[in-house]
Amino acid sequence: MEYFLHILILIGIYIILSESLNLIAGYTGLLSIAHAAFYGVGAYVAALMALHLHSPFLVNIVCAVILCGLLGALVGIPSLRIRDDYFVIATFAFQVITFSVLNNWVSFTGGPMGLPGIPQPTIFGLKITSHLGFLLLIVILCSLILWISHRIVKSPFGRVLKSIREDEVFTQAVGKNVAAYKVLVFIIGAGMAAVAGVMYAYYISFIDPTSFTVMESIFIISIVIIGGAGNLWGPVVGAVVLVVLPELLRFIGLPSSMAANVRQILYGGLLVAFMMWRPQGFLGKYAFQSGETRE
Amino acid sequence: MSADWLEVQKLEKSFDGIRALADFSCSLRQGEILGLIGPNGAGKTTLLNVISGFLAPESGRALFRGKTLLGLPPHKIATTGIARTFQKLRLIRQVSVLDNVLLSFRNQPGERLSNVFFRWKNSKEQEAANRKEAMSLLEEAGLTEKANEPAEDLSYGQQKLLSLVCCLAAKGDLLLLDEPVAGIAPEMIEKILGIIRNLPNKGKSVILIEHNLDAMMQVCDRVIFMDAGAKLSEGTPEEVRDDPRVIEAYID
Amino acid sequence: MIQYIVNSLIAASVWTLLGLGFALVLRAGRFFNFAHGIVFTAGAYFAFLFKAWLGFPLAVSLFIAILCSTALGCLMEFFPYRPLRRKGASPLVLLLASLGTYVVLQNMISMVFGDDTKSIRSGPVKEGLNVFGARITPIQILTILVSIVLVVAVAILLKNTKMGKTMRAVASDFKLANVCGLDSDRVILLGFALGSALAGVAGILFALDVDMTPTMGMNALMMGIVAVIIGGVDSIIGIILGALLLGLAQNLGVWYISSQWQDAIAFAILLVFLLFRPQGFMGKRVVKATV
Repeated sequence: MEYFLHILILIGIYIILSESLNLIAGYTGLLSIAHAAFYGVGAYVAALMALHLHSPFLVNIVCAVILCGLLGALVGIPSLRIRDDYFVIATFAFQVITFSVLNNWVSFTGGPMGLPGIPQPTIFGLKITSHLGFLLLIVILCSLILWISHRIVKSPFGRVLKSIREDEVFTQAVGKNVAAYKVLVFIIGAGMAAVAGVMYAYYISFIDPTSFTVMESIFIISIVIIGGAGNLWGPVVGAVVLVVLPELLRFIGLPSSMAANVRQILYGGLLVAFMMWRPQGFLGKYAFQSGETRE
Repeated sequence: MSADWLEVQKLEKSFDGIRALADFSCSLRQGEILGLIGPNGAGKTTLLNVISGFLAPESGRALFRGKTLLGLPPHKIATTGIARTFQKLRLIRQVSVLDNVLLSFRNQPGERLSNVFFRWKNSKEQEAANRKEAMSLLEEAGLTEKANEPAEDLSYGQQKLLSLVCCLAAKGDLLLLDEPVAGIAPEMIEKILGIIRNLPNKGKSVILIEHNLDAMMQVCDRVIFMDAGAKLSEGTPEEVRDDPRVIEAYID
Repeated sequence: MIQYIVNSLIAASVWTLLGLGFALVLRAGRFFNFAHGIVFTAGAYFAFLFKAWLGFPLAVSLFIAILCSTALGCLMEFFPYRPLRRKGASPLVLLLASLGTYVVLQNMISMVFGDDTKSIRSGPVKEGLNVFGARITPIQILTILVSIVLVVAVAILLKNTKMGKTMRAVASDFKLANVCGLDSDRVILLGFALGSALAGVAGILFALDVDMTPTMGMNALMMGIVAVIIGGVDSIIGIILGALLLGLAQNLGVWYISSQWQDAIAFAILLVFLLFRPQGFMGKRVVKATV
């Protein structure tokens, strides 16, 4: 039962991560492999505040969101000048630099040893200790994130995002400040990812840099793509599939030493397969096909 | 006080050593339809790109209603009242015809992020009003039945019509049309020309690039013939057509 | 000071090989092939397989390993890249597929060989010879020499042979080259073969110096990419200069700050170039959207 709840909590965290990346990559067409950086910074901000300042959960989550939002703006700015695949490399650079900071600034972040002993969250006097409690919290946060995404996507603002994805030149020609939209969507996406990071930190009560690497970013973008980029429910489907599938393998007798590797082979393989045969993913309509061709 | 809607002075623009705009000047009054013709590579599209802000010239001036255009980003120029179509036919193909038109409206409160979550009644009302107006524009253009279909499902001619409708939705006072009737069926040509012909009555001006001389003759008040970035001839369509320099350039 | 230059040269040699291979694929296939990094890793692990597990002599192992990594690179072109190209996949789609390919292959290496550090060196770490006051091991000297030889060879190949000229033609204009009857498929395969061979060699040299782990490829590749971007995709000299700059900057960092920040320094330089001079030192073309 505990195990089952644990899986659901993980799915919840990944829904938040992939939904937020979906806004950036799926709706606006800005492919980014920096998302684990936002995830990690969110986790670390909350953890450090909880450990050193003993500030309450809600304060920590707000601070994490704001800081990650700023970081998101930083990552978004290059997208104004660099296109497409070169931009992906730039996001890779951000990701690695962030990881470097988390891993090497030992005095502040604990370095490779990480930050243990993160206290349990207390919200309005209620202390969350059980798996069920965390699950409830995650469900609330997930719903909030999904609602926010839904409002954004259905609004004229969301319409402009899709327009940017399809044809930036046209979007500019009809008077939209493309630069502002790009930076804004990064701020939103990064802020949401911070929420996932905060949840992760409190739930596992121990964080270290190895949870926030490039491979994690690739995993998140795989969820977005396989679930269906540019569709509100795509990330949900993707998160369920990519979290549950490797767990199922456990039941068919896979030795746990291989489990981590097989899990990665699974999502890597699925990524290639979907690119090949169904690039729009399960539910999506957008397949990263458009964009100016280079001459 | 000059009644010039648009004034372009001594524009210079080169690419890889080729002079696309060579000391080019022209002006346009309100309610005038100006045609640009000339061989490929004459600099016609480059001129539109400079006016609409997608290219920066090396030197020269461009003023719209007295305010300078150069140095402004394309989206800012669009909000001053300049709308355009593209030679390459740009539309958002994956979204509906209606959405393309809705995108083109200016000053939409729903496009501001704050309004998505606060004061969304305001944006909802504006959106409904825009929708109504979009549908009536589509009706005038005869595209109502296709309103909810993805733009890519339209025929090429219908897509060109749609991009013109988008310019109208944007309430452009100066329309820059790059080959609006190239490569489409005669009925559609008529329809589009009809809309263009009517624009001066609404106080709008048009700069029109076309290779189709007949279309030019029907619709333009004035025509400029361009070659190698320079103005070779200017006058009424008939004057330019009969200009020996133009005839010579075409024979060459 | 000399040591600093020497260390920079050693690093630069590996990055040049890797970057050049990456650039070849980039020009031929027109996309960022992240899986290039795993060919680097595979080169080293193939050598390990043949030497440590199958008992072949070192030289033979290395030779077969290079062949195997070339084959691996070509295999990737056959699946998934060529079929994706046929479907008109955009560079982004190919990039994503290459990421997936990298993840799959890296984990396969992990599963087969384990995550611990493996070595193909014969004996214990040697002191290193004393050259002009700097310490440098024979392997490191070999790395620099092989690098120079291979880069010169590739340069000559591209400039003077029919094959090379074909590659350059296809790289500069895909469709036109096809129209002229040049088989772009074959040329792309050639680019992959050549690039992968270079990657395999780089991986082996790297492993001979500092041993191997399954995850080393991604990082090494990124250094190669940094060299390519700051040097310019189209210019071999640019890539060499880029690699040198990278090596110098990283080792400067090692000296003044500490070795852990090497990656961050490399990527910071990358970002600066991407933002302010995306075509690199020597590059000419900047990819822009046409209006």
